[in-house]
Amino acid sequence: MEMHVKMERICNDFTINIATANGTGSQSSNLIILNSMFQMGVPVSGKNLFPSNISGLPTWFIIRASDNGYQSPGDKAHIQVLMNKDTWFKDLESLEPGTIVIYNEDAKLPVDRDDCPSFGMPMTKMARGINPKLARLMCNMYYVGALAHLLGIEQNALEMAVRNQFKGKEKAIELNLRAISEGLDYATENWEDEIPYRVESREKDPDSFLIEGNEAIALGSIFGGINMLSWYPITPSSSLAEGIIQWLPELRDADDGGSTCAVIQAEDELAAAGMVIGAGWAGGRGMTCTSGPGISLMSEFIGLAYFAEVPGVIWDVNRVGPSTGLPTRTQQGDLSMLYEASHGDTQHIVLIPGTVDECFEYGWRTFDYAERFQTIVFGFSDLDLGMNRWSTSGFEYPDSPMDRGKVLRSQEEMDAVENYGRYRDVDGDGIPYRTLPGSGLDPILYRGTGHDEDGIYSEDPDVYYATISRLKKKIEGARDLLPAPIIREEEEQQIGVIYYGSMENSITEIDDMLESTGLSVSTCRVRALPYHSEVESFIERHEKVIVLEINRDGQMYGILRKELPAHLIPRLHSVAYTDGLPPRARVYADMILDTLEVTA
Amino acid sequence: MTVMKLNVIDLEKSEYTGGKSSLCPGCGHDQISNVIIQAAWENGIPPEGIAKMSGIGCSSKTPAYFLGKSHGFNTVHGRMPSVTTGASMVNRSLSFLAVSGDGDTASIGIGQFIHAIRRNLDMVYIIENNGVYGLTKGQYSATVERGSKKKKGAMNEQPPIDLCAMAINLGCSFVARSFSGSKKQLTSIIRAAMGHRGMAVIDVISPCVTFSNNDESYKSYNYVKENDEVLHLLDYIPHFTPIEEVDIPEGEFDDIQMFDGSTLRLETVGDEHDPSDPMSALSAIHRAEMDNKHVTGLLYYDNSMQTAEEALGLTETPLSALSEHELRPSADALDNINSRFRGN
Repeated sequence: MEMHVKMERICNDFTINIATANGTGSQSSNLIILNSMFQMGVPVSGKNLFPSNISGLPTWFIIRASDNGYQSPGDKAHIQVLMNKDTWFKDLESLEPGTIVIYNEDAKLPVDRDDCPSFGMPMTKMARGINPKLARLMCNMYYVGALAHLLGIEQNALEMAVRNQFKGKEKAIELNLRAISEGLDYATENWEDEIPYRVESREKDPDSFLIEGNEAIALGSIFGGINMLSWYPITPSSSLAEGIIQWLPELRDADDGGSTCAVIQAEDELAAAGMVIGAGWAGGRGMTCTSGPGISLMSEFIGLAYFAEVPGVIWDVNRVGPSTGLPTRTQQGDLSMLYEASHGDTQHIVLIPGTVDECFEYGWRTFDYAERFQTIVFGFSDLDLGMNRWSTSGFEYPDSPMDRGKVLRSQEEMDAVENYGRYRDVDGDGIPYRTLPGSGLDPILYRGTGHDEDGIYSEDPDVYYATISRLKKKIEGARDLLPAPIIREEEEQQIGVIYYGSMENSITEIDDMLESTGLSVSTCRVRALPYHSEVESFIERHEKVIVLEINRDGQMYGILRKELPAHLIPRLHSVAYTDGLPPRARVYADMILDTLEVTA
Repeated sequence: MTVMKLNVIDLEKSEYTGGKSSLCPGCGHDQISNVIIQAAWENGIPPEGIAKMSGIGCSSKTPAYFLGKSHGFNTVHGRMPSVTTGASMVNRSLSFLAVSGDGDTASIGIGQFIHAIRRNLDMVYIIENNGVYGLTKGQYSATVERGSKKKKGAMNEQPPIDLCAMAINLGCSFVARSFSGSKKQLTSIIRAAMGHRGMAVIDVISPCVTFSNNDESYKSYNYVKENDEVLHLLDYIPHFTPIEEVDIPEGEFDDIQMFDGSTLRLETVGDEHDPSDPMSALSAIHRAEMDNKHVTGLLYYDNSMQTAEEALGLTETPLSALSEHELRPSADALDNINSRFRGN
């Protein structure tokens, strides 16, 4: 393809798709590209689409640069890097005309797309020149050099990103910098054509950095005073537990050198949930993290904690269900399960972060809510938020002291409560007082069986009804004490969009797409269940409300329909879609437009 | 005026009793509850320092019938070990006394049982073993012996799971078997287990008077009485009783030191069984099994194992007693983390 016409420059507005094989170290290369662009102040986001496999299966990494701050993967790739023979032809076939192709010549596979400018480099051969044994890994650094040349990534930003990636390992830093530099030199010498896409430095917020949601939750829970972490490895939550394990020694050793948080790798998720409940019952802050299959296994215990009123925190980093599903892909498919987990009538508090800042904040807040309401509190994240890197300007220190809830710790405190009973609603808020094992204060045998206000076994119909009614009242009472929704409201209250969680990363782009058609769109991000009363008033103020979510059945929509007053229900319209990939703005915007047309 | 007998911490036995049992009259489990009350009282353990744990089933109901001054948790079926693990991690000062059944431990909860042993959780784990599910009307459990027959229905043809043999194979630090009808033996074992640090598994054959107390059942009163192979006589000497003041038995004896300074004295011991030797313990179990007999006594003991809490390197203060100052890192610590992430 001839490229001699004067090229129009497209700065900081393109998507790169990098196709590699799992286990070849390409994640390091990809993060170096992402971080070096971030260092230049380019608004950038990265998505790792990886397989459930240790080595060999295909993996794609999507990097999007966007001066508009758009963070969803974009509708198409502008630049395709081909490293994986197994997906080579399919990757090529999917490209739109004009897509730039960078490929490893040593794959010895044809690039027969005349409509796409292509740039080959003998990456494996060059990597062998540095170190034959490491060639399979090192060859990935050559496309970093190639992209640095084509896009104009600055040398100092590259160096900083490499140093960050291989912290302290001087040999690795040197080798990888050399590979990148060889790739860059090869491209400079051999590739005559330019491409339209460039990165351009922007003024970078000096406080900003990129971090995965899981690590943010890990740090938040440590600042929340976690006493016991029980966990069973499961993608995509394992790095949350490992984050806690990594940070504990620095942050949570007592004066005698012992830890103030026990970490137990449990035999399964049932045991992990049991340990959380045991810790909460004994007066500690227990937590586990898992994904959907784990929640399924924990459900019996969750009902026990609800009924016996024991605090505990469970994080669900959602992956694609049902069953084993797509274990390394993202979804918001567990929401209704969390809200009503376990048999019988149950209802649980669910906190739903949409940013890494909120991951940190809810990391500590979940414990306060759990002890305040003496129940299981879920944190609901997903693979996209949890395992991809997002920008923050730094985490904020908790703005309130730890809330240990209604625990009676002395006889004086006990005497001050009139007519104490473990399950008596003394204060009228549905939350009873409790005493701890070891305190000697009014002990009872906790049980999952029916019990009266004093905790004594009971099958009395009136007692049972009173108990479950009080539990309902207790959780209802949490509504307006939980994080309020984030509302961005237009003056002209035409269309409202309710969404939650990681959809935050796509909403700006979706909103711009909708407004470009002349619509006026307000948005409301729900941050907790049971939903805040401001969610209801948002719906009151809008004629039509779309409930937007990353699942098949419209789970939040179902919850809203069940709990809203009848006159508001006709205003709600569900737009729900899931295919395992992080949400592409175009897909959801089009679905919203279709829904609005149908319901016009 | 009658003078009430007090224990070493000046408490009457009534401070250790619980509510009225709702089990069948004559149930072996009620005898075990009485032994637990007796053992805790005689050992002079403050009731508030004990945490009673159980799963689901007839046996797991019994914590309501003993130690009414202790907190307790009647959890879910087969999952008591995990709840105990969590509680034990945040309050290591509590003495955990757990009661489970053969259904609760050998079937639905076998995984948690195994892993609690593997971690050497510091607890007393009593299995009230009758070979049947009582609350659901008498189905066989996994500990019923091949050839045993309950009151109604066919003879059991499947091999049993021997929980003591399993515990020994897993390296459990204290393994004993007893019989609910052997009050003295059981009391000594439970008292010693309370003084042990680490996992103490006590498998107590406890006949179900309703569904399997017929003579064809290997776990009936009559059968166990006739087929109990007692390894040794047991005498428990608490740490607060000077051992010099205890009569020296006539025959051979072995003294085993418990962590709390108390002694378990094994009397009329022969050469056949050495409780520090797992092979000896396992062969005693298997020999008895071949003869359709029950071997009772202290099967295995090892006081050298690290407990779960020790292995984790926790601070000495129970975690549940730590202040906010000790639990929440400082604002400076967070500033420092932010700064490092920024590359400064």
